[in-house]
Amino acid sequence: MLRLIVPGDKLDIDLTKNVSLGPGVYCDPRTQIIQPVNAGIENIQVGKRGQIVHIDYDSKRYVPAVGDFVVGIITGAFADSYRVSLASFSSPVSLSYMAFPNASKKNRPTLKIGDLVYARVCTAEKELEAEIECVDSTTGQSSGFGLLEGGMVMDVSLKFARNLLFDEKFPLLRLLSQHCKFEIAIGVNGKIWIKTEDTKDTLACYKSILDCAKHPVNEHASILKRNFKALLNAIE
Amino acid sequence: MQVQTGYLNKVDGSSHYENKSVKVICSVTGPIEPKARQELPTQLALEVTVRPAIGVPTTREITLQDKIRGVISPIICRYKYPRQLCQITLQILESGEEETLFNVKELIGCINSTVFALIDAAIAINSIAVGVSMAVMGDGTFIVDPSNEQLKKSVSTHALVFQLVDGSKVVENVLLLDSFGNFDESTLFEVLEYGEKHALSLAKDFRKTIETKIKKDLFM
Amino acid sequence: MAKDIEISTAEAQFIVGALKERYRLDGRSFDEFREVKIKFGNEYGDVMVEMGETKVHVRISCQVTQPYEDRPFEGLFLISTESTPMAGPQFENGTNTSGDEVLISRIIEKAIRRSGALDVEGLCIVAGSKCWAVRANVHFLNCDGGFIDASCIAVIAGLMHFKKPDITVHGEKVIVHPLDEREPVPLGILHIPICVTFSFFNPQDTEENIKGESNQEIAIIDATLKEELLRDGVLTVTLNKNREVVQVSKAGGLPMDALQLMECCHKAYSIIERITDQIINQIKEDYKEREKYKALLSSENARDAS
Repeated sequence: MLRLIVPGDKLDIDLTKNVSLGPGVYCDPRTQIIQPVNAGIENIQVGKRGQIVHIDYDSKRYVPAVGDFVVGIITGAFADSYRVSLASFSSPVSLSYMAFPNASKKNRPTLKIGDLVYARVCTAEKELEAEIECVDSTTGQSSGFGLLEGGMVMDVSLKFARNLLFDEKFPLLRLLSQHCKFEIAIGVNGKIWIKTEDTKDTLACYKSILDCAKHPVNEHASILKRNFKALLNAIE
Repeated sequence: MQVQTGYLNKVDGSSHYENKSVKVICSVTGPIEPKARQELPTQLALEVTVRPAIGVPTTREITLQDKIRGVISPIICRYKYPRQLCQITLQILESGEEETLFNVKELIGCINSTVFALIDAAIAINSIAVGVSMAVMGDGTFIVDPSNEQLKKSVSTHALVFQLVDGSKVVENVLLLDSFGNFDESTLFEVLEYGEKHALSLAKDFRKTIETKIKKDLFM
Repeated sequence: MAKDIEISTAEAQFIVGALKERYRLDGRSFDEFREVKIKFGNEYGDVMVEMGETKVHVRISCQVTQPYEDRPFEGLFLISTESTPMAGPQFENGTNTSGDEVLISRIIEKAIRRSGALDVEGLCIVAGSKCWAVRANVHFLNCDGGFIDASCIAVIAGLMHFKKPDITVHGEKVIVHPLDEREPVPLGILHIPICVTFSFFNPQDTEENIKGESNQEIAIIDATLKEELLRDGVLTVTLNKNREVVQVSKAGGLPMDALQLMECCHKAYSIIERITDQIINQIKEDYKEREKYKALLSSENARDAS
């Protein structure tokens, strides 16, 4: 059931039972009224612990939330942490020197300003600066987090980044792998990092991903074909 | 009314609004890091800028900015974004009225386009605001979205903005009532009633535009 | 600019690296100017120019004022450019003082106003006491590079499209006829200057470029925003169809060879030729559209010649 929600509408939930609020739903601190605050499609799941409600919508500006995988740019270094930007002009977040695998007081990470990192948001209080970490704190392993070397980064809408990362049925990555070998890091902050063996392939991937973000899934295969073909022809 | 959202791509949300002879572009960026002087410790700071089609901004544009801020502030969930900034910039492309005499049509155009741009930027808002511009003529007739000639002949002009909730069918509040000219109390009540009716029907167009936008974004 | 868009080292290296292999991010060749889209609004002198994602809107207006005392036979012509956060959050409100923004407005001013593209003497109504003041308001809407080129096209197209109300002079009294009363008159345009901006990238270290003989810098036309942020030098040339160089602006940056400047001008000429024709044709078409019903509405009696 797809129901359009516009801010101010009534949600189809039973307030006498437990409700978990997801993105797009907000409990006003003053009036304590639960209401939708973004326009989108209503999404309610009833589980064992009660109802989970969120609004499905697309946006461009990332607001940090705990557990999100993000791609950030190092913009500054302090005594005990880096300052990292997750989106241009947004408030910066911090990445502690201790949030790396095998970190100790003496063993400092060696990231430079301008480097890209893949990380996870570990605290995100709206009043405070958010923090990210490059280590899986349960295992102490790097778990794929850390410096992203070389490659190219692009900005896409947040919905597209989420689809690419979480939706197993989303065909783009599989389609890309039919054209070239690549390494990819997808941040739900709308930044996608990709690295291939040569410039041409990276360029084709870059263009294809940006084009695909603007077109429905069924057109993706032909977009890829066209972009890779165009670059192969250009070299001859 | 014709509205195109996502008109600009370097900002977080934007709308291109056209209603008869009024044409306005609105851009919204936020929540972003504010400058120290703008920062508010508990809530979102708003920076509203209005740029006229012709000439440099004057006190006239500042008045518009203040009125728009007054309407937009109560519908934004400002406590959701403490110590953050939201930049709202409005560029009037066609005012559709004599700028030295009136500002109703531009004001309503700005407010309506801002609502769409806020939705496009996914800034949390608790309801939508729908604005209507009206003119009362000498013979007592009401005209919605008057033309420049009608404005010049009118005895009073009114800018109304309503806050709509619950399927955008219920008027929660009157956010703005800005009137100029000669009118009495009973006329004003009639204007309110007439404007409310029109706003509720306009809200259907609002929802249709929003629906088209959401469907386009989610590829449905 | 308050804050800049953050670009990671990896991205910068990739973009410059790709340029070395003669690739641009948007797939254009180095000498390719983006397609220019020109749209006219309802009123005369209302122009929207789009180049890729870059959008600029220009509105021409006029009013009767007093001429400057030292120039009694000339009208006034003003270009106002001010950027707002609408074009991108890197632009600040009101404080139009940072280097880049001043440079943009200065170059447009030089290319159009000071090159005498508009016949200001034709704006004189009564010498020393009354004249037209023509104003071009440039609104930057979306910034994806090439603001100078786009606004130059928009301003000149706006001036060519604009018509000022007709006037009648009775001694010192001036009657301005509204547009619906008398056919308005176009402005006098003396030539059509068009700007083309080149961006330079240095594939080697700077020293080699100053002292060396190789001159291997990469020159691209009509850079996008990302290319603009990374470039080492910039050159804007303004030409018109009469093969006149209206202005050359190169404010610092990568040093370059005089011969290369000539080469750039030649490349730019074919571009400005194309754009000039496009502007003229589109204005013609727009006028035709506006005058569709003119023949029907004419009050003149059709008389047979016989």
